[in-house]
Amino acid sequence: MASSDLGTNNHTEQKLEFSLEVPLPSAREAHIALQSLSPDREPRKGGITKKLSASGNMLSAHWTADEARILRVSVGSFLDHLSLVLETMDAFGPPAPQ
Amino acid sequence: MTIVIGFEGSANKIGVGIVRDGEVLSNPRRTYITPPGQGFLPSETAKHHRGVILTVLREALEEAELTPADIDCVAYTKGPGMGAPLVTVALVARTVAQLWGKPLLGVNHCIGHIEMGRLITKANNPTVLYVSGGNTQVIAYSERRYRIFGETIDIAVGNCLDRFARVIKISNDPSPGYNIEQMAKKGTQYIELPYTVKGMDVSFSGILSYIEEAAQKMLSSDQCTAEDLCFSLQETLFSMLVEITERAMAHCGSQEVLIVGGVGCNLRLQEMMGVMCKERGARLFATDERFCIDNGAMIAQAGWEMFRSGHVTELTDSWITQRYRTDEVEVTWRG
Repeated sequence: MASSDLGTNNHTEQKLEFSLEVPLPSAREAHIALQSLSPDREPRKGGITKKLSASGNMLSAHWTADEARILRVSVGSFLDHLSLVLETMDAFGPPAPQ
Repeated sequence: MTIVIGFEGSANKIGVGIVRDGEVLSNPRRTYITPPGQGFLPSETAKHHRGVILTVLREALEEAELTPADIDCVAYTKGPGMGAPLVTVALVARTVAQLWGKPLLGVNHCIGHIEMGRLITKANNPTVLYVSGGNTQVIAYSERRYRIFGETIDIAVGNCLDRFARVIKISNDPSPGYNIEQMAKKGTQYIELPYTVKGMDVSFSGILSYIEEAAQKMLSSDQCTAEDLCFSLQETLFSMLVEITERAMAHCGSQEVLIVGGVGCNLRLQEMMGVMCKERGARLFATDERFCIDNGAMIAQAGWEMFRSGHVTELTDSWITQRYRTDEVEVTWRG
């Protein structure tokens, strides 16, 4: 995880960043998780961005944030949501044939 | 034959219901109950819902004696409501819709109440009073919209009652509104409170501030009892609701009133509205707590109407929204 540079001497303010990669059992399940987690916006305006993507069976999330506190809240919330999606897939899967 | 499963969790109730062609097959529900003196916060409410939603979903399928393959459409509350709880419910709805290969449908919470009220009571074309902890609206159907003729300009009537319950530390189990109702029955002294009807609209924040201050003063000096205050608050708030409903009825030439939403459970409100309707030669419709209070079946029922008339929500459009006006939805399922 990149650190924040708070210096003022000719430095551009840097954003905090965090990346997370989660392997799912299959590409199909990674796609389902991505589609379930993508639609809702970040609750707070400004100070945080989140990008989700899936490649093969890997679900990826990348954040940039102005403050550590905002970043921690967003990552914590995402993990709660991811956990619920995984539990749902575990309880009511496997996916119906397409 | 069309079977819809509905997910509702916009406030402190979490429910999953299954409806098939006008019949409620199952409707299990849980309530997040906080200690006396406290309201429920969004993140804690969402945590509660996350902890029970899959159990409630399983119960709904078992009680209906159905499997996922039998379901035709997955409906969920798109809004309005508390952000974090709405997201929790939408996540599960999106996931099972994909797992089961079924279409998804975002439903307006208020329209869920209206459609369930219409289904259960068989009201034809009523003036609707929608009263709960989060909403207070007088609604009439006109030209493909549920139009808002009057509403609160600040807090919902149920919010006013719930927050007064916090002030006098009433239990939140089964609900603060229910406990205020029981205490009001023992009230004997009417305490005059502000009466703030504004044409077709109402305002409750001033009444709440006034009675909060009155509670501190009058209870500590034994000028009245908590029961008197509960009685007085109900008489004032409910009279205001009756007045704006009557005004809408007169304006629309309506001969029916339907009360929906959690406060619609209140028997005193039903009684007062019933008196007004009788004097006007109109009919009053109300449901009991199975359907008055937020539940999954009401979302399934509105979802059933919407799905059969062609509504579907794409996954990319399935975001929740804390504010979702009743009149934003095109009502394609009514003539």
